[in-house]
Amino acid sequence: MGLLRDWHYVERAVQIPALAELIREALIRALFVRDDRVLPPDLIADLNRVPPVTVKVKEDAEVRKLVRVLNGQESTVSLGLSAEDYHYFRTQLGVGRTREFGVTMRPRTLLTYDWIVPEQRGVQLDFTGYASIEFAQDGHRAIAQVGAFWKRLYDEALERGHYAPFVPTVPLDFAIGDALYGDAPLASFRAGFGSYVNGLRTISPYGQRARIGFEEVANHGTAYDLLHTAIPLAGEFFIPLSAALRLEAKPAVRKTFTYSFDDPAKLSAALDKLSRFGPGVNWVHITDSLAAKILRPAVPPEAFTVQVSIGATTTGIAAKEKALDGTMTGFKTKTGDASNPYDVPVDAYRKTADAAARSLFVGEVRVPAKSFGDFFGKVRAFGDQSAAKAGAYASLQGTGVVSAYPFFSAPKDRTKVYDLSKGIRAIVSRVPGAAFTSRLAHLWEEEPMFLRRMGLMRSLKLEIDEAHVVQPLISP
Amino acid sequence: MASLDYAYRRLVNTLGPERVARSEFERMVYSHDFASLPKIALLQWRLYPDFVALPQTTEEVAALVKLSDESLLQITPRGGGTGWCGGSVPNRGGVLIDMRKMNQVLALDPDARTVTVEAGATWKEVEDFVGSKGFALPTVPLNAIGSTVGGAINSGSTGFGGLRGGNLLDGIANLEVILPDGSLLKTASEADSGAQLANLTPLFLGAEGTLGIVTKAVLRIVPKPEVSKALTYSFPSLAAAARFLKGIVDAALTPYHAALMDRDHFVFERALQSDSPDPTDLALVAVQGSKDDVADQEKTIDGLAAKEQGTKQLAPIGDRLWRDRYNNYGARRLSRGLMVSYNLVPLRRLPDAVEKATEIRDKLKLNGSVQAHVVDSTTAALNPYVLMDDTKPSGGTALGFVKRMGDAAFKMDGHPMGLGLFLVYNLRKMHGNATSAYSAVKGVFDPRKKINGGKTFEVWTKYPWPGLRAIPPPGMAIGLEVAAILRRVKPTRDRFVRAYEHTKEE
Repeated sequence: MGLLRDWHYVERAVQIPALAELIREALIRALFVRDDRVLPPDLIADLNRVPPVTVKVKEDAEVRKLVRVLNGQESTVSLGLSAEDYHYFRTQLGVGRTREFGVTMRPRTLLTYDWIVPEQRGVQLDFTGYASIEFAQDGHRAIAQVGAFWKRLYDEALERGHYAPFVPTVPLDFAIGDALYGDAPLASFRAGFGSYVNGLRTISPYGQRARIGFEEVANHGTAYDLLHTAIPLAGEFFIPLSAALRLEAKPAVRKTFTYSFDDPAKLSAALDKLSRFGPGVNWVHITDSLAAKILRPAVPPEAFTVQVSIGATTTGIAAKEKALDGTMTGFKTKTGDASNPYDVPVDAYRKTADAAARSLFVGEVRVPAKSFGDFFGKVRAFGDQSAAKAGAYASLQGTGVVSAYPFFSAPKDRTKVYDLSKGIRAIVSRVPGAAFTSRLAHLWEEEPMFLRRMGLMRSLKLEIDEAHVVQPLISP
Repeated sequence: MASLDYAYRRLVNTLGPERVARSEFERMVYSHDFASLPKIALLQWRLYPDFVALPQTTEEVAALVKLSDESLLQITPRGGGTGWCGGSVPNRGGVLIDMRKMNQVLALDPDARTVTVEAGATWKEVEDFVGSKGFALPTVPLNAIGSTVGGAINSGSTGFGGLRGGNLLDGIANLEVILPDGSLLKTASEADSGAQLANLTPLFLGAEGTLGIVTKAVLRIVPKPEVSKALTYSFPSLAAAARFLKGIVDAALTPYHAALMDRDHFVFERALQSDSPDPTDLALVAVQGSKDDVADQEKTIDGLAAKEQGTKQLAPIGDRLWRDRYNNYGARRLSRGLMVSYNLVPLRRLPDAVEKATEIRDKLKLNGSVQAHVVDSTTAALNPYVLMDDTKPSGGTALGFVKRMGDAAFKMDGHPMGLGLFLVYNLRKMHGNATSAYSAVKGVFDPRKKINGGKTFEVWTKYPWPGLRAIPPPGMAIGLEVAAILRRVKPTRDRFVRAYEHTKEE
């Protein structure tokens, strides 16, 4: 989602004499909120420019052709445009181009915020109509086009006896592509989304079909694991079209247990224990009262609600439930076998997603399970100070880390997003072992080793995308 | 290029005389890895390193890498040498850096659930250490006794625990790497930030030491299971055992490990140890968890085995196989050499795959065993081995088996594992149009190709002359195909084990 592009832009901007006097963070703020008191009007105009052409993708050949046209390998005539459209295309892109224009992928659903530097003169790809899902007849594998909704994959997999283990921590209506070039928080208890991706079908910056990774098998011992290096930023190296996803067999019994907690300390202790629970846990989601009210409006909200989805054999489920009760010490109430929030019909899911999407999200915070209560207490206090009620959706992972998505009941204004993000960053710095991984946090980070790694990522991007086609880097 | 004597003096000044070797014998020891290479390979490559260096600290590794700017000698990093495609073997001599003196467990953090180890420690050493503290490693490579942490990371191994604990990448929190310019890189953020904050760890998985030298790893650990039990079942055929393994995954069970071994493996074992289990096509399933959980899993797995006419074996057989699980290639003692072919195939095609492997082995008149294990819900590792005697002229032709197995894996929508020195021709078959993107990675990290140059993407020879400096990777494929053809037309079978031959003649 343009992270490398934004990072590169900021890195270059701090080298400009007129802007070098600004400290990095002030510059990022000015760029993010488009502050016309700090930045020259030309720069603001550049930042506010949006891609003039949007292409609704129907098949991959169109993308191939488009990339080849942008590369100058083919003329625009080969796009098969009508005379009118052809003229429009040429006018909008500029025939005698003096600077790079590239291709950018528009996420279908965005949890947080748009990129700082939009694609300036290029083409935006809209994958709404590129959304088929193909299941392997006899195996736990699906190939989902990037425009396919996650919910559809989940439902259709279940119908076929498989199970998509990765679920969104914040239940918005994400497409698969949103996890590749957007910010969809898909994960299971065992692993992040990337672990379930066997391969990506992409179009390379040279307009060739290129498969990164594999489709039927995992990616081991094949030179570098480029696939998992690229996944969070896949759209900056290639144009991803489909993902080969690893599904799992549907357990004989799946149950969702709901535990409520009053005391954040007890919650943290229980989560820490639960993270050591072992196999059988599909996902663990935590909501505070504000999030619970959005997700389950008919149920009186508790201070904290933990939902645990487990799978087991018909004979083993009772023992698993007993073990789970023993692990979740300190809970206030328990509801046995609550309905799985993802198993609802698509309309009901979308209704909840619409309600959840109204909040202002600042991105992911990864916090050790035992510190989650403490962290959330600080977030809530910060929200109260900022006159923006704070809540959180979170999921627990088997590594002992909670992936939390704080949100605020506030208008989605860029200044507000920035200020609240900064507040969360300050809180995270006071919680040992926590990390703020939002896009703004990446831009703020000045740790030398991080800058080195980002520099290497940028070099890698420039090497792979030598043609400067896939979200080309732009300097101010 | 500086003279070798000057380079030697500089190396001795850096490490001391006791940790730099240049004797013929020591150089010979490092001229091959686990695979047995025929002597003819020396015509193509300078497999003997000029020097062997044994650093003990990260700083020493950095100094050695910087030294190569002066000496212009190639660097070949090496762990336990348990690879099978020449990734840790020099192709133009140079300095071989043996990491096994960096074998300390540095820290165990029970709160963060990580253990920090030096790259030269073996997986078994790390497993034993964390086990003594009440923890376990989620994933352990197959050859854990000899395989070092850095070595397995560089070869992108699969192994025990994958079905439950995820792949090796999931088990690595961070790496410390010395890059080709001598600088130090930590591949991930100190905090557990998932795949965010520019995580470069995946790039080093399977990189075969071509991007830098891994010196330390922060590995994830999990609580030690309450109960661990190994179950074994014999089957009327290997394909039935394969269907059983697939059935386990289809039933949504997640045992710690699920593998199969054909009867020939036990024939070889019996020739070495008279009390080894009776030869039979066998599946080994290790279950872990609470007492109740293990009992429940065992009952379900028994039912799945019965569906394929599997017969449960006595507990001591399972215990013995589990105890010896890291020591799988004892048959090497029967023939002096052994060749393993590691491949990944779709799990749904595992029954076909094991039959194909048996067919290829028999067609090439080789002695060997077919083995496989489940990697994840879509993938199985098929890793048959064949015996070979590389002291005989025909010995090297057994390498043709690896070529044929790799081709078969591709046909089944899978792929062979490892590229190293002599399987480079598989790179393009693996990655197709994306190959240039993979090559770009080396260009970014090591533009001068100082570390393990001439492998993975290209095949350098030992000759410095234009036209002969490198051979096109498909040339290697042709060579190995010729080996396979020669093996096939060879009129006689190898005779390493009389009992084995007896069963084949029946």
